[in-house]
Amino acid sequence: MIKLEGVSKIYKGEHMALRDATVEIEKGEFVFLVGSSGSGKSTFLRLLNRSETPEKGVIHVAGKDIGSLPSYRVPYLRRNIGTIFQDFKLLPNKTVYENVAFALEAIGRPKSAIREAVPQILDLVGLSKKEGSYPNELSGGEQQRVSIARAFINRPLILLADEPTGNLDPATSVGIMKLLDRINRTGTTVVMATHDRGIVDTMRRRVIELDRGRIVRDQARGVYE
Amino acid sequence: MAIRLDYVVKETGSNLVRNITLTLASVLTVAIALAFVGVSHLIGVGIEGSFGGLQSDVRMFVYMNPTASAEQIESVRKALEESPQVDSIVFLDQTETYKEFKRLFKDQPDFVESINPEELPQSFRIKPKSTDTEVVSAVGKEFEDLPGVYKVEYASKLASDIKRSLDTLNGWITKFGFALIAVSVMLIFNTIRTAVFARRREIEVMRLVGASNWFIRLPFIVEGMVQGLIGAIIAAGLTWSFDVLWHRNFVNQRGLDLLNNITWETGNLIFAVVMVLTVGAVAGAIGSGVAVGRYLRA
Repeated sequence: MIKLEGVSKIYKGEHMALRDATVEIEKGEFVFLVGSSGSGKSTFLRLLNRSETPEKGVIHVAGKDIGSLPSYRVPYLRRNIGTIFQDFKLLPNKTVYENVAFALEAIGRPKSAIREAVPQILDLVGLSKKEGSYPNELSGGEQQRVSIARAFINRPLILLADEPTGNLDPATSVGIMKLLDRINRTGTTVVMATHDRGIVDTMRRRVIELDRGRIVRDQARGVYE
Repeated sequence: MAIRLDYVVKETGSNLVRNITLTLASVLTVAIALAFVGVSHLIGVGIEGSFGGLQSDVRMFVYMNPTASAEQIESVRKALEESPQVDSIVFLDQTETYKEFKRLFKDQPDFVESINPEELPQSFRIKPKSTDTEVVSAVGKEFEDLPGVYKVEYASKLASDIKRSLDTLNGWITKFGFALIAVSVMLIFNTIRTAVFARRREIEVMRLVGASNWFIRLPFIVEGMVQGLIGAIIAAGLTWSFDVLWHRNFVNQRGLDLLNNITWETGNLIFAVVMVLTVGAVAGAIGSGVAVGRYLRA
């Protein structure tokens, strides 16, 4: 599903955010990316949906060399990759329903399809009763559920999560992880960058550790350290 | 994938309203710029017409007898061409003279009817090398007595001086019009840039969920075109009103002769209106297109 071969990313002559990374992630895997701040976790994720392009190396996503993708094709790549963030990136002037529907409007889905899909996905993330609320009326955990609903409504092949529990308390984080686990069980590959030791040690999934841009550990059923 | 029309309309509409002060500034600037261009075009056409197509540098006319033979005309032409004082000449035969005659007397169709094209004198229009009135009339004397020549006339110095000044003024007005249009384009550019900035979060999310580049850009480009077009429609209205007011107050009215003679046809007005609308839409598209290209790079 995801394959990196000798990938290096250098930011404007500064440090190397990623050095010669070679790794393969199978369809349906759940992978944790761990490492200290600035170790290259976010860069790793940003390379996968071509928010960044590598200086060296080849990246295959869903069987395609995404480096050779012309820029007008990049949106179609992203339709197969859901992304969630620590800060949720919800639109404050739209309701829960509108935030989720926006993901479908933006790719030109017909209204009838949107009316059908949004309530379904809100039910999946457990927010059916909050569809008329605005983001600032929701708790952090609820906001992250909205962002997951938005990322997953297209049933993407891959879900990228950049510290999704970074702003949440432990109890809420458990709920979010249960949701991500459920999504993973539908066959969606999940790659999650995290600092949350408790989550990694409890879930016991594959762990890839980065240190100053280098992959220093790749462990099946791994732990945080 | 097709971009839904209702989406573009909705987004464009909400952008226009959200940014109402900047939108108004753009629209009004376009309106003023294009009204200026439209009105000055009409006046320019009118001035051109009121001077009977007179070139500012034509200062001497040699009229031939209607009965002059082809050989006589030929020998006058030769004499003119060989004269060291003559810069260039234009010959008006009977057909062209009649055309001009009809234009000059279009208000008196009966008079035009009564004239036979054959009876009109053919003439040479001469641009002398010197602009000095005395030198020019001395040159004219040489041709007065040639066989077949009916009479030599001189453009009134005042008329041609006025014409020359107006031509200069017209050049300035044209440049000023271009400058105003450039300002309009820049204002639209700025408004769209602001609109893009105001919506940067939405744009980020759109990118993330895989909205196509054109889906993101189109509402902004349409917004710019709408601003240009609304401004142009106002300008077209102003140009039209100017046409009506001018004709009501000056053309064929008592008052200053100079102004009464400045007029134009409905065709000129239609041309001005179409030009104003086209320039408005194009200016809007260029301003917003550049802004979008620069601030929405994929």
